[in-house]
Amino acid sequence: MQANRGDVNVKQITLTPIKFSSVALEFDELIPDEIYSWSKEDFEKYEVPVGNSRFPLTDYYDIEVEGEAQSPEEVKMIIDGDAGRVKYIGGKMGAGEIIVNGDADLQAGAEMEGGSLTINGNAESYCGREMRGGEITVMGNVREYAGTSYIGEWRGMSGGKLTIHGNAGKQLADAMSGGEIHVMGNCDILAGIHMTKGFIQIDGDVTRWPGGQMKNGAIVINGRLERLLEGFELDAIVTDPEVEGRQFTGKYIKYIGDIGVNGKGTLLLNAEKNRHHL
Amino acid sequence: MAYEPPVTDYDEIVENCTCAFCGSNCDDVDILVKDNHVVGVRHACRLGASKIMEDEDQRLTVPMIRDENGELMEVDWDTALDRAAELIAGAVRPVFYGWSETSIEAMKPGLELTELVGAVIDNQATICHGPTVQAVQNVGYPLMTLGEVKNRADMVVYTGSNPMNAHPRHLARYTTFPKGFFRKRGRFDRTLVTWDPKYSDTAKLSDIWIPFEENGDYGFCNAIRAVLKGKELKQDFISGIPKEDIVALTEKMKNTQFGALFFGLGLTHTLSKQRNIDIAIQLVQDLNKYTKWVLLPMRGHFNVNGFNIFMAYEMGFPYGVDFCRGYPRYMIGETTTIDLLNRKECDVFMVIAADPGAHFPGGALAHLVDIPVIQIDIHWGPSTELADVVLPGTFIGVETAGTSYRMDSVPIYMKKAIDPPETCREDEWIVNELLQRVKKIKEASK
Repeated sequence: MQANRGDVNVKQITLTPIKFSSVALEFDELIPDEIYSWSKEDFEKYEVPVGNSRFPLTDYYDIEVEGEAQSPEEVKMIIDGDAGRVKYIGGKMGAGEIIVNGDADLQAGAEMEGGSLTINGNAESYCGREMRGGEITVMGNVREYAGTSYIGEWRGMSGGKLTIHGNAGKQLADAMSGGEIHVMGNCDILAGIHMTKGFIQIDGDVTRWPGGQMKNGAIVINGRLERLLEGFELDAIVTDPEVEGRQFTGKYIKYIGDIGVNGKGTLLLNAEKNRHHL
Repeated sequence: MAYEPPVTDYDEIVENCTCAFCGSNCDDVDILVKDNHVVGVRHACRLGASKIMEDEDQRLTVPMIRDENGELMEVDWDTALDRAAELIAGAVRPVFYGWSETSIEAMKPGLELTELVGAVIDNQATICHGPTVQAVQNVGYPLMTLGEVKNRADMVVYTGSNPMNAHPRHLARYTTFPKGFFRKRGRFDRTLVTWDPKYSDTAKLSDIWIPFEENGDYGFCNAIRAVLKGKELKQDFISGIPKEDIVALTEKMKNTQFGALFFGLGLTHTLSKQRNIDIAIQLVQDLNKYTKWVLLPMRGHFNVNGFNIFMAYEMGFPYGVDFCRGYPRYMIGETTTIDLLNRKECDVFMVIAADPGAHFPGGALAHLVDIPVIQIDIHWGPSTELADVVLPGTFIGVETAGTSYRMDSVPIYMKKAIDPPETCREDEWIVNELLQRVKKIKEASK
């Protein structure tokens, strides 16, 4: 198997699932920052948290380790199969690369600081929660609260980039204070609620109320928006706008809001698809 | 309704008991006792009275264990407690759910047990006012005590709740009808407003009824906030309400002396969940720039608020607290009961003073059928049919004294009026016994 990335030698760790556990496994310790120096024997000795216990990782995965790494940047970890019951994949990771060839469970990439996480399936809720850096790519859909804050916290995602090729669920990027989210599919209610900074681009349709109580930052919607909040004031119709350093082509309706919180946030709607708001 | 003659055949009246039904915790209830049985209840509403009166109906009196044939068989306390302790000690993802209809005193050993075994402890807030608690954490809690509303409020708003049916004495005892220090004429000095898609019994009593459309709560509150900031509304109808009506209502709300907003599950469980409460709280904060406004959730069980206060005080998180990694974690959808059951994660379920069998969604119940369930309760109910070990408790506020928190977070010590059946044990004793027995098993296995 090829074990290099570009011209950099990498240590490739492949986990192939052999047993399903309905109680979720927690992978917050299996991040490049921790495991870059581990040998195959170290992985075989490792016990993974499952509920209130720890069980050997080898009960659930066949483990292959190829190559050597001197730092977390040189690690590439592949979960080669469904991880629909593995929480905290890439949680707090600072460098390196993780690839999931299947679905990921709750909290994938939570509090991530660097490196990259690719999920070639769907992700459950809280994907990229409180993300501070790095890059997450989800090839499928994400559920609720992607790029959001800890429950009750008023500071959410502050850096990095989250790209979702499918649809996003409710309350995307709650309390976002930096970074970038790109949803290529549709998005449900209240995207960017309580947002203070950062950038959200949604290419598909949106059901209701993007930017509720947003103070600043920008949301661009290229699809059709059903319901807009009264807290947004029409500013202008703009052509080929530039938003946060990104160039968009075509006509957009620009709103400023949410005035309920004296917000100065920008909401841009594709004018062609959103004539009903004019 | 047929005339019922007053009860005259009783031995004694136990005065000023606290009703153990809803979050109003009416503490002016008189219980009439004859031969250690409740024969009558004075001052309580029909809901409270029927709970106190008909307690003997379907009462669980002896510990039981389900045998191989699937029948619940009576056993002695030691056998039942040992069986329950074994199940708890051997579990990988135990969940301890309930607690809202028992006392704070019983929660204390419960929390210790949760920490010891690395379980999840959760209460009914997970299916009722959980979103409220989340919103309060996000944007604050402009609350008051109900006494302040009684003495001061000249505008009372109910939204997403129907107290005339669910908290029958709420209007009569605390908010609308009583004569207060600054509201000498009671009802005549107050404006009662209901925001509700339904023409509920509370709406029928109200001076103003705002029937916004279902799931329209967030857009409606957002529009009021925009009006308060001086914006001229653009859409003719917002959430199904004409914009003129919203402007008129906003003016009335600005021009009161003391307004109180009460909300129920109609607000917490519509489309935008905790964000409805979030924006309602911020609306109240905005109104405080003009006059005095406060807000309070209409809590359901008499101690559901108590559990949240107890947990927040002890552990920093209000409900759905997970100790599986040794430290408390709290994440809606991950450490909450319904999700753990729907995902088939939980492997031992203990329910105390709650009836998931009657209230949980089908998927969650389907999993409860497959796993061991331990029930601590006073009545035979749908949960008993699911239970593998049944431990009969006592009735807080009637048979056992204990502390509870009213919906406005006022702690109330609930008296006892009669003695419990001899074969039953107090919840606090049962949970403490389980704790000691699990401790022994854990020490033996070291």
